[in-house]
Amino acid sequence: MNRQVWLACILLACAAVALGQVDAEALANSQQDDESWLMYGRNYSAWRYSPLDEIDTGNVGRIAPAWIFQTGVSGKFQTTPLVRDGVMYVTGPSNHAWALDLMTGRELWHYSEPVPDDLPLCCGQPNRGFAILGNRLFKVNMQATLVALDAATGDVVWEVESADYRKGYSNTVAPLVVNGMVVVGIAGAEFGTRDFIDAYDAETGERRWRFRTVPGPGEPGNETWGGDSWKRGGASTWITGSYDPELNLIYWGTGNPGPDLDGAPRPGDNLYSDSMLALDADTGELRWYFQFTPHDVHDWDAVADPVLIDVEIDGQPRKALVHANRNGHFYALDRASGEFLFARAYTEVNWADGMTSAGRPILIPGRTPTDEGTLTCPGMGGGHNWHATSYSPQTGLYYFNSGDGCQIYHGATQDFVEGEYYLGSAMENVTGDPREGSILAVDPGTGDQRWRFALVSPPSSGMLSTGGGLLFAGTQEGYFVALDATDGKPLWRLQTGGPVRAPAITYRFEGRQYVTTAAGSAVIAFALPR
Amino acid sequence: MRWWVLTLLVSLAVAAAGQELERSPFHGDETSIGVGKATFRLRCSACHGIHAEGGKGPPLNRGDFAAGNRDVDIYRVIARGVPGTEMPAYGSRSTEENIWRIVAFLRTFEPVGEERVDGDAERGEAIFWGAGGCGGCHKVGRRGGSYGPDLTRIGRSRSVDHLREALLDPNEDLPAGYFMVKVVTRDGRTISGIGSGIDDFSAQLRDASGKLHSFLREDVESIEREFTSAMPTGYGESLSDQQQRDLLAYMQGLRGEESR
Repeated sequence: MNRQVWLACILLACAAVALGQVDAEALANSQQDDESWLMYGRNYSAWRYSPLDEIDTGNVGRIAPAWIFQTGVSGKFQTTPLVRDGVMYVTGPSNHAWALDLMTGRELWHYSEPVPDDLPLCCGQPNRGFAILGNRLFKVNMQATLVALDAATGDVVWEVESADYRKGYSNTVAPLVVNGMVVVGIAGAEFGTRDFIDAYDAETGERRWRFRTVPGPGEPGNETWGGDSWKRGGASTWITGSYDPELNLIYWGTGNPGPDLDGAPRPGDNLYSDSMLALDADTGELRWYFQFTPHDVHDWDAVADPVLIDVEIDGQPRKALVHANRNGHFYALDRASGEFLFARAYTEVNWADGMTSAGRPILIPGRTPTDEGTLTCPGMGGGHNWHATSYSPQTGLYYFNSGDGCQIYHGATQDFVEGEYYLGSAMENVTGDPREGSILAVDPGTGDQRWRFALVSPPSSGMLSTGGGLLFAGTQEGYFVALDATDGKPLWRLQTGGPVRAPAITYRFEGRQYVTTAAGSAVIAFALPR
Repeated sequence: MRWWVLTLLVSLAVAAAGQELERSPFHGDETSIGVGKATFRLRCSACHGIHAEGGKGPPLNRGDFAAGNRDVDIYRVIARGVPGTEMPAYGSRSTEENIWRIVAFLRTFEPVGEERVDGDAERGEAIFWGAGGCGGCHKVGRRGGSYGPDLTRIGRSRSVDHLREALLDPNEDLPAGYFMVKVVTRDGRTISGIGSGIDDFSAQLRDASGKLHSFLREDVESIEREFTSAMPTGYGESLSDQQQRDLLAYMQGLRGEESR
């Protein structure tokens, strides 16, 4: 490379820094960047832990709203905002997004795209956040498209369609940027889709690879689907994965097989539904998989965060992947090989009596859904569902929430109609069972519960842990809460007036620590009084 | 007929006719009925029962519908909801085709007509406002108490079986928002009432006199949510079988018209 080219590269790099662009190095070092929040899980290991400690257990009782941004858009706000160079980037439901001034919460730009009237949806129109690279933001839209926006203006740079929404595909996931690619999943298993994980070139939007989560004929795993049931096999990928740069592996969980509650049309284990996948980041090739719930008939998606922790297990240091599955068990896997390390039930479980040495559940008979109904625990939403989790290296604890209780599962055979529900029946609540919840702190090396904070309702929001010894979470009834991360004792709360469905983030701006969450239809930034 | 051919034809028909269709185009089509059943179970069964036998909502398996017995009547109720009841409008949440599939599913039940109670509604009304003491807690129209659920339209929204169960075993299936809250204060007093709200940090309740109480968990000894009804048990013993039937006949006739 000659001197002119070197000089040009240096000038471009300087320009990128000056313009506040996010490069690969910034993403790789996101854990050390106190002034930003650059990806869904804060770092590639999906820890959602910030070392910021200005707000701590001693003073959190004095934090108060610094600003509130009312979006004016109704729906489920499940977003993880991104923060960079004085700007917050927030996605909302129904294809809305905003850039906000970090000092005041004032709107800098607003992006919106209509949701098609004929879009089949199972679960509302939420969106879980942006990804960022260079001066571009990336988000999915409900109609299964991926869009790149100019971070300065919100203008569309490119947009690509991942799948035909008329067939039941939709999208809500926050993308993950890895090696210059934008990695996204897809939703639609409730409509008999056949799902995938995609990687797109961040510059052009061209698709670089696709991994089908239900293998086709001739591919390993297709033999686990009876007949042509693989065509409608589902295995959605609607929650963001994690990434290990040393192994160059992307970890991504998959959802239920279709139809959800009727296993008869799809005899076999139904790979790779309800599984953790380890994919080569450059090619999308499968390196290993682990299936948590073979031949699932209870809609127990494996969509909980795959969190990467180096931890001692049975006296051995392990590069682990931990995951609180919807089927009621907390798992630890070796993230290099996929080896099963252990599983522990964290809520009431009546369908499995432990695991084999390979991690396959030992089934208790009589838990298959029937027309008359079968009482099974946990209920359909889990156990722990999709809500963001947190690992604090300060306490050494892993935090996640749990929906506690049982449901009656009714099964029934139905034919497949493209673009329509393909569920195989539904769940029914148990009379007198209030369906409560909890926030749990677990030792990731053993699965031992250290503390439990009881919730009167199933949980709604994700977790954030901080260097101030705090755990932030929200509730369906609208409370935004700070708990002592060591013992779960509540230290501060605010009734926000709307359900808290989003995980909180934190960052430092002009020397002051802020904690921000979405609640109801608003975004609220908290800080200590000046 | 292949499902997609049928769907195409139906889509064209629905597009051409809008809601002018009188009859579900999916009548007798097993595939469409299966989808309708799945959608019913997902969206409707929490109130109308997993087998459409009724529950918090009226039974839909008897071939007799409060808003009319033509397919289009059922379609309109699903699409537009029933104002003044818990029945929401699904028109903006579901395609026209899928609503017609639900209608086709509901038409698979053999019509047996509305269950009529062998009782005298006038005598039941007298029991309601007299010996039964029901009016002390329940409102019908503008008359009655407000401690329990308003029964002005209860005959439209509950099956007879559900009303009978509510009368004889009120703890079996509590109406939404009618759980009990028991608070024990630091000085040992117990205050109970119907919970207006409860969360992880507070509870609000109305006692039997209608007085509102609000507590923070940190200020009291305990707050417990109890899934029992404030309605007294024992009507199975205090009312004769005939009196029960009379009372049920009265309640079955409460459909939101001018209260007597």
